[in-house]
This record gives sequence, structure tokens and C-alpha cells, in this order.
Amino acid sequence: MTSSDQKLKRSSSINLAKMRKSFSFKPLAVGVATILVSACSGGREEALVFKNVEDCVNQLPDMAAKCQTAYQGALEEAARTAPKYNSKNDCEYEFGTNQCVVYKESGSSIFMPLMAGYMIGNMLAPRPYYQPMFTSYSRYSPYRYNWISADGYDYGDTKKRRLKVKPSAFDKKPAVTRTISRGGFGSSVRAKSSWGSRSSGKGWGG
Amino acid sequence: MLRFPIEQRANWQQMARDYGFHFHTMHGQAYWDESAYYQFTLEQIERDLESPTEELHQMCLHIVDKVSKNDELLTLFAIPEHYWQGIADSWQAQEPSLYSRLDFVYDGKSPAKLLENNADTPTSLYESGFWQWLWLESNVDNNKLSKAADQFNSLQEKLVNQFKVIAHYYGLQHMHFSCCKDTEEDRGTVQYLQDCAKEAGIDDYFVFVEDIGLGQGGELTDLQDQVISHCFKLYPWEFMQREEFGPYALSSNTAWLEPIWKSILSNKALLPALWKEFEGHPNLLPAFFESDLHKMNTISGVDKWVKKPIFSREGANIDILENGRMKLSSDGPYGEEGFVYQAFTPLPKFGESYTLIGSWLVNEQAAGISIREDESPITQDMSRYLPHIIL
Repeated sequence: MTSSDQKLKRSSSINLAKMRKSFSFKPLAVGVATILVSACSGGREEALVFKNVEDCVNQLPDMAAKCQTAYQGALEEAARTAPKYNSKNDCEYEFGTNQCVVYKESGSSIFMPLMAGYMIGNMLAPRPYYQPMFTSYSRYSPYRYNWISADGYDYGDTKKRRLKVKPSAFDKKPAVTRTISRGGFGSSVRAKSSWGSRSSGKGWGG
Repeated sequence: MLRFPIEQRANWQQMARDYGFHFHTMHGQAYWDESAYYQFTLEQIERDLESPTEELHQMCLHIVDKVSKNDELLTLFAIPEHYWQGIADSWQAQEPSLYSRLDFVYDGKSPAKLLENNADTPTSLYESGFWQWLWLESNVDNNKLSKAADQFNSLQEKLVNQFKVIAHYYGLQHMHFSCCKDTEEDRGTVQYLQDCAKEAGIDDYFVFVEDIGLGQGGELTDLQDQVISHCFKLYPWEFMQREEFGPYALSSNTAWLEPIWKSILSNKALLPALWKEFEGHPNLLPAFFESDLHKMNTISGVDKWVKKPIFSREGANIDILENGRMKLSSDGPYGEEGFVYQAFTPLPKFGESYTLIGSWLVNEQAAGISIREDESPITQDMSRYLPHIIL
């Protein structure tokens, strides 16, 4: 039987480059086969950032409707995914004076930063991608005057309008809420760890 | 099924560092052991392990269906009543599962016998899916092993594929991954699954089990207050169901991997339930609930029984009884939920070591094996991992 008509019982290829966790400068002593570099790995696309609808329409007069739709969508995403704070002070400490608004969920008030702009990708498609963008005016923040996404990715200076982003930049981000308490999982492990020799290293799987 | 010594790859420890395999040695003892390997024929793999694995899985699903609809059985399985409806719903909805590992006694000749089903939180996944695969590749490249050598191990390929299926089922673009603090082995296993998920196009977030928060509106959150909408947890359902946030695991909108119906499978009560339903099946060992102990006498030719806690991990709290007397026991923190009894079958001995086969499933498909060796006939969590080939 030749190797081509042999049905393998093992994974036919594994992308070793992606499995590496550190990069040693020494070359590997063994030549390891089947390193596949996927054609789209590291592929980036262009995205545009606008401060508001007007900014978008000024730049792209033919796209006014898309500017508006994407802005509305981004505003809704901002409410869903922006970081949330218990007090206006905490929020303003991160984002700057007068940069925060009330986000009402249920019960007491929560504060979130204002959407500072929005990022649009695939502008020529019927439905462009969008994502809300935030920035900080606070001198205590490492993100000061930079574009950041809801999950904290730093896209650099807010003076930039054109960004090179990974396609995943437009994936739906997790919603963000206010956490009331933590530590409600893990008590079984604390109880069983006090028994015998379980210590660092071994896990709780089986 | 043969055991051969082989020269270790000179640079394997460096490779382990490069690929982030940090738990190859634990508590000063070798866990990954490439000083020897096991060799199987294709017939042994396909006839004795692959097919029985898939057949047993279908039998197990039959038990899930039965137990999920029966209050008496749910009680016998020590599942808290609060979760019964959630389990039935999750099973009825056919929420997708990712993976399981069946542990077998197998000597290369007689039918493999099921010892237990690790259906909720199996580990040794990275070593199986990736690391032993790499071991074979490098030894073939170095002419230490025949070019015709194969391995029963399509785990990584199938895991990536199943993540795509799961992403499609839930329409998800991101997923949280979680395990306990202070365990390199669990963190390594979860990181491997994150890598597989990424390969399937899923954005991955990580949060430790102990750090999971309860957000306003009853949703579970990570340390960035992001709502955990979909979560892989390397943390047993039987623990979660007995903890403060347990009820929120159901009432929140979080979708779980493994799904909660798997708490029926990862439970030692599965073993007597299987025997009751499929008595005499060649891949099953006689097994009984404590309430049916009198039936142990009806099984001829078995004078040794293994007493296992309904919930236990990696060989803890297991006793061997001979003619009703305790012969050998292992310590541990488990047992408060009751015990089951399973006919004792000795693990085959190759050289100085007892050998246990782990047989993997990704969803419903057999996906490979892993081999553990121990000096004791009860495999504990410090047993060594050895690679294998098919030739």
C-alpha cells in the first residue's frame, strides 16, 4: 500500500507553528515535518474609525446611510459590552471627567464610558461590520488618547483613522455587567485539598 | 500488544519547553515516559478498542436517556434534585458534548473491559492529542521508528472539528474556558482546548473557576465583568451542583461544555446501571449498587470486588475486597455519596508495570488512546504516561 491510499488513524497534520508557546533561537535538532502555514494566518483587514455620524459622512458622503446604521449598531453594542462601574468616580478615574454616563440595568445605577467613536470594516459590503470604540482622557489611564475596544484591546493613537485589524476584531464581544459577588465556585476543591497530598500540579480532572 | 524500550529523544525536554508542556514531571516524578512504547496491530485497535468504545458510548447514552427521566435513578446517582429538570432539558435539547475518555483493562487478547467513563472532566488530553503525536513524528523522522508506524490518535483533528460544530450549534463567536487555580496540569489541558477552539475560529477567554462572579441580573461573569455566555469548564458537575453558585449554572444563560446531562455519565453509578441493562456484554464487568450486594454471589468466578465511591477522581478511595475482606485500599477525600461494587479484573502486567488504556471519544466518535503505567494495580494520579504506535 502506498502512503496516499493508506487511511491514517492519527491526525494527518498539526500546525506546529501555532502549537509553540515560546520561541527559542536555537534551531530544533529534529526536522519536524508537516509545518503548515495557513494562507490567511496573520491576515489583516483595513478598518476606519469615526468619532460620530457626521465625521463618517464627511469622509464618505456616498455612504451616509451605512454611517448611520453602523453608528446605531455600535451604540447598542457599547451599552452591552462597555466596562461597567459602581460609581461615577470609579468610571471617571479610568476615562476622565464627564466621560461617563449612567447605564441602568435594574436596581441601582451603573456607570459606563461614553462611546468615543466607532470602527467600521468591510465598508463596501451591504452590511458593514462595526464595533464601538472608547478612549480615555484620564491621566491615570494607560489608554489615554488611544482607541480601545470594549474588551480592552489598544488600537493606538486616536489621531489615527485607518487601522489594520484582525478579522476577529469585529467578532461579537462578551456582554459586560456589574459583578455582585465572587467565589461561589471552588469550595469543593478547598475542602478536598485539605485532605492529604493534593498540592500544586495535579488537577481536578480525571 | 507489545512493550518495547526505545531511546528517548535527546531534545525532548527542550521541545516540551518550546511547546509549553510543563507538567511532564510532577512532584519530582516522571509523568511523561518515553523510555518505552506500546505497539498494537491495526486489528487490536479497530476490533478491540475503536468499535467497543463507540458501542459502549451508545450504551451509555441509552442509560442517560433512562436516568434523566427517572427520579428514583437520579436519586441513586446522587444528583441533587434541584438539577433534575436542567439535566432532562439539556438531554432533550441534545446539547452538544466535546469529549470523554473510557478507561479499559485490555491485554491485547481478551475483550477490553470498561473500568469507568470519564465523561465530564477527562485530562491527559494534551499528552494524547498532541505530545504523543509529536513523539511519533520525530521518531519516524529520525529513523528510530518505521515509516509505516501509525498511531490511534485523531484527537486534535476531531476536537477542532467538534468545536466548529459547537460554534455552529450555539451561533457563538467566543467562549470562556475555566479550571481551578494552582494546577499546572488542568491549566495546560484547558490551554490545549483553547488552542483547538482558536483553530476552529472561536475567540477564547479564560477565567479561573474560583474567580467566576455573579453579575447583576443573575449572569455569571469573568474578572473583567464580561458575561460568560458559553463556558468550557474542567471542573466536575458534581462539585458545581453542591456549591453556592451551582443554581446559577442553570438559571443564568451560560451554555456549558460539557453539558449538564454528562453528570449522569461521569458518575460511578453508571457502571451498575450499564450492567443491569446490558448484563453479560463482553466489554462490561459485573457491577452492583450497594442495595443489590446480594446479587454479587450470583456471579460465578469472581471472588474479588472493587468498591468505588460514586464520585471520585483518579483512583482515590478505592478498596479491593476479597471474599468480603479488605485487601488493598487507597486513601482519599471521597465516598460520602455512597459506593458501587465492580468485579475485579487485574490490569495486565508488562514488565514491572500495570497498564491501563484510556480510549478517547470526541462527541460520538472514537478518537484515539492513551496508555498509563503504574507500579500498583490501582492506577493513581501519579501513574506514568507512555506513547504507542500501530504497526
